[in-house]
Amino acid sequence: MKTILDETRDLALSTHNHFLEEARKQGKKVIGYFCSYMPEEIIHAAGFVPYRMRAVESKGTTRADAFYSSINCTFVKRCFDKALNGDFAFLDGVIFVNGCDHARRMYDNWRYSKITPSFLYMFFAPHVIREAAYEYFILECEKLKKAMEEHFKISITDKALKESIRLYNEKRRLLAEIYSLRKKKDVPIKASELLGVMLAITAIPVEHAIEILSNVKNYITGRVVSKPQDLRLFISGGCIEEMDHLELIENCGAVIVADNICLGSRHFLDVVKEEEEPLKAIADRYLSHLSCPRIMNDFDRRFDYLLSVKNDYGIDGVIIEKLKFCDLWGGEIYNYRVEAKKKSVPLLAMERELYGGGAGQIKTRVQAFLEKLRNKQATDENLVQAAGNDYKPK
Amino acid sequence: MKTKPKPLEYLKWSANFLKLGYYVTALPRFSYWGMKLVRPLYVNGETFLNRKVRWSLLTLGAGVLPPEEIKAYRYAVKVFSDNMNNAMNGGKMGKPVVWVEWILSNEIVGAFDALPFNPETLNVFGNMSGQDIPPLLIEEAESRGFAPEYCSAIKLTAGAYMLGQTPQPAAIIAGSHPCDTNVSGYQGISRLTGAPVFYFDAPYWRNDDSFKYYEKNMWDLVAFLEKSLHQKINWDKLREIVDNENTFNFYLHEICEMMRATPCPSTMISPLFAWVVRELAIGDPNGTEMTRILYDVVKNRYEKGIGVVKKENIRVIWWNPPIAFFTYVFKWMEDEFGAVVVKDFIGDVQVPQVDTSSEKTMIHDLARNHLFLAMARQCHGPVEFITQELEKAIDEYSPDCLIFAGHAGCKHGWGVIGIIKDLLKKRGLPSLFMNMDIMDQRHATEDDIKRWITEFFRSNGFA
Repeated sequence: MKTILDETRDLALSTHNHFLEEARKQGKKVIGYFCSYMPEEIIHAAGFVPYRMRAVESKGTTRADAFYSSINCTFVKRCFDKALNGDFAFLDGVIFVNGCDHARRMYDNWRYSKITPSFLYMFFAPHVIREAAYEYFILECEKLKKAMEEHFKISITDKALKESIRLYNEKRRLLAEIYSLRKKKDVPIKASELLGVMLAITAIPVEHAIEILSNVKNYITGRVVSKPQDLRLFISGGCIEEMDHLELIENCGAVIVADNICLGSRHFLDVVKEEEEPLKAIADRYLSHLSCPRIMNDFDRRFDYLLSVKNDYGIDGVIIEKLKFCDLWGGEIYNYRVEAKKKSVPLLAMERELYGGGAGQIKTRVQAFLEKLRNKQATDENLVQAAGNDYKPK
Repeated sequence: MKTKPKPLEYLKWSANFLKLGYYVTALPRFSYWGMKLVRPLYVNGETFLNRKVRWSLLTLGAGVLPPEEIKAYRYAVKVFSDNMNNAMNGGKMGKPVVWVEWILSNEIVGAFDALPFNPETLNVFGNMSGQDIPPLLIEEAESRGFAPEYCSAIKLTAGAYMLGQTPQPAAIIAGSHPCDTNVSGYQGISRLTGAPVFYFDAPYWRNDDSFKYYEKNMWDLVAFLEKSLHQKINWDKLREIVDNENTFNFYLHEICEMMRATPCPSTMISPLFAWVVRELAIGDPNGTEMTRILYDVVKNRYEKGIGVVKKENIRVIWWNPPIAFFTYVFKWMEDEFGAVVVKDFIGDVQVPQVDTSSEKTMIHDLARNHLFLAMARQCHGPVEFITQELEKAIDEYSPDCLIFAGHAGCKHGWGVIGIIKDLLKKRGLPSLFMNMDIMDQRHATEDDIKRWITEFFRSNGFA
């Protein structure tokens, strides 16, 4: 019999799903969006289903290569290739964000290639956290609301926005609870499984997502997937949607217990204040949530977050990843290296192509890193010996 | 192998050589003939003997550019030399040095008792010490973990600082445009230098809301500098700077308009010289004087129907920034093929004038002005900011072809390469797309570029 995690894995591995089909039958529109800086609540309050864009099931970049170049990112190229192949034909609209140079150019290429849907919108998210940016973010939310109202001839009321905020906060709370279960010595869910959950719940109506998350929470309570000797890792990076990739890391003798990734903590940390004016509260949460390197004046807070969860989650080492040609995460790796050295945080920096293979190389690097961590721990505890059978990690 | 350079070695050489150049070019005809006579010693390639002068002499026209232009460039040379010397002596002068990242503008810093310094200075002027110097600085940054995919402009800045080749900043001004390297790079540079950073955030669109947002950025910058430098802004000084800037922009705008004429009355290197002046010290009266002289020279040619080359064979649009290690590519094309670059991506000035009647109008208009500066104008928003400018250039400048200097760092530009290629194909404009890096010769050298351009001109029947 299929478990709830098998179900979420199935949902995660496909572009389209039966929940979306059902929603469309009920007359709901499905709106694709990119980036953690895009407020899902506004789409939901319109009576639509927000759908996080993904490259799963992508077969390559052949058609997208005619628009992009060899130095553009594989996530963006794969997503656009899918769009050109009609894999996103079920969408009624796509909202782009100036998340990075590669992604913002998809807005241009999509419009230029004249593929469906007709509602294509660029949502501007500021690159700084300060008062003027907050005010501008509110304005952008208002503009998006107005654009949707005009295009789809609907009305997005404050009441609907408040209800959406409530539901999304509920989803966030459940995710936070599931994530915090990984603080325990015996970890109940692997990061690869959790990534499947995240992919699933960002591709279905939030009402079903809440139901799934409740089931996941119940299912994993009392479950143990970690081994006593597993090292506990934190992972940081941009687009990670390959469950196999995290599985590969965890199969090397580790368990990933915390993260700062798009489909991870960045998605659910910090709730929207329910008692405030809806769009202002949404802007506040989305601009100031746990950031990624596209926010220029927030590195200290990002690194402080790592240090805080390092203690809470008993983290032994950190893996930071980037996709090839990603300036934002390339720069973040440098900053992480500098600060990790100062604070004696063991760090492994890796680069990969999305669905680019190279499992053997990744495995070797992770194994070497974990071996170093074990040796370091042994030395730190004055055992002055290589990690052997007697050694138990902290 | 090059040993570690002495502190500020490359900047000092640049400043001193430019200072010497300022005195020598007081006699433009003498400079012109001097460069012409010794031309065989440096024109063919860089050698051990000519490496510290070749790039500079070629950029100054190498005895090919008429003395009238040299007379104008003299004022630019003074601006460059003063800016570098001041920045190096900031400590002695008791004035803080404020780094202003390359794609921004430094009027506001100039209105403080502070010294603006463009940390990307050595991207261009590093070549004065030899063409191997910029890659050396870039490699230093890469070897210490700076992202290799970054635009080389920022890598070189980081490498220069790591090797003690740039003065210590008291504060830094950076921004989110034109690309992700800017978004990310200065986060790293702030860790390197320890200096406080103000980040401009460029909006995506160009409408009233966007301008208002950028205007707020400007006010925030004033507050940041007042706090970081423990000074108050001098509005009268700002007015003086902006007045000079308005004149500077007026002349350049006129020059760029006159370059539509056939034959083209100006070489593209002149607006680019002016762009470097803008980058280093906009509002400096010497910069304004340079543009005034250039305007007279170009206007005189325009009115008489004289071109910058005797026989204009090919009219070229140069898309993307110029090649820093091969700045003289324009003169080379003019000499070899009678090919004149009539419109480019950087030198072309399209900024609105700034109303200096009040503090508010100055900040309001400067915000608009900055979003129309080169690279900001084309890169901070949708592809239409590029395609509309390209279409307009094709309509107005009567080009025969286009050269796309495909800089490795410009991933957003490469992200719409299909659209750009389609546009050029539809307009029937023969185009050369070069895979290169404008600051890093490890991708493609001067010889590679010469070969590509030569083959392109020949294969299209231009030469």
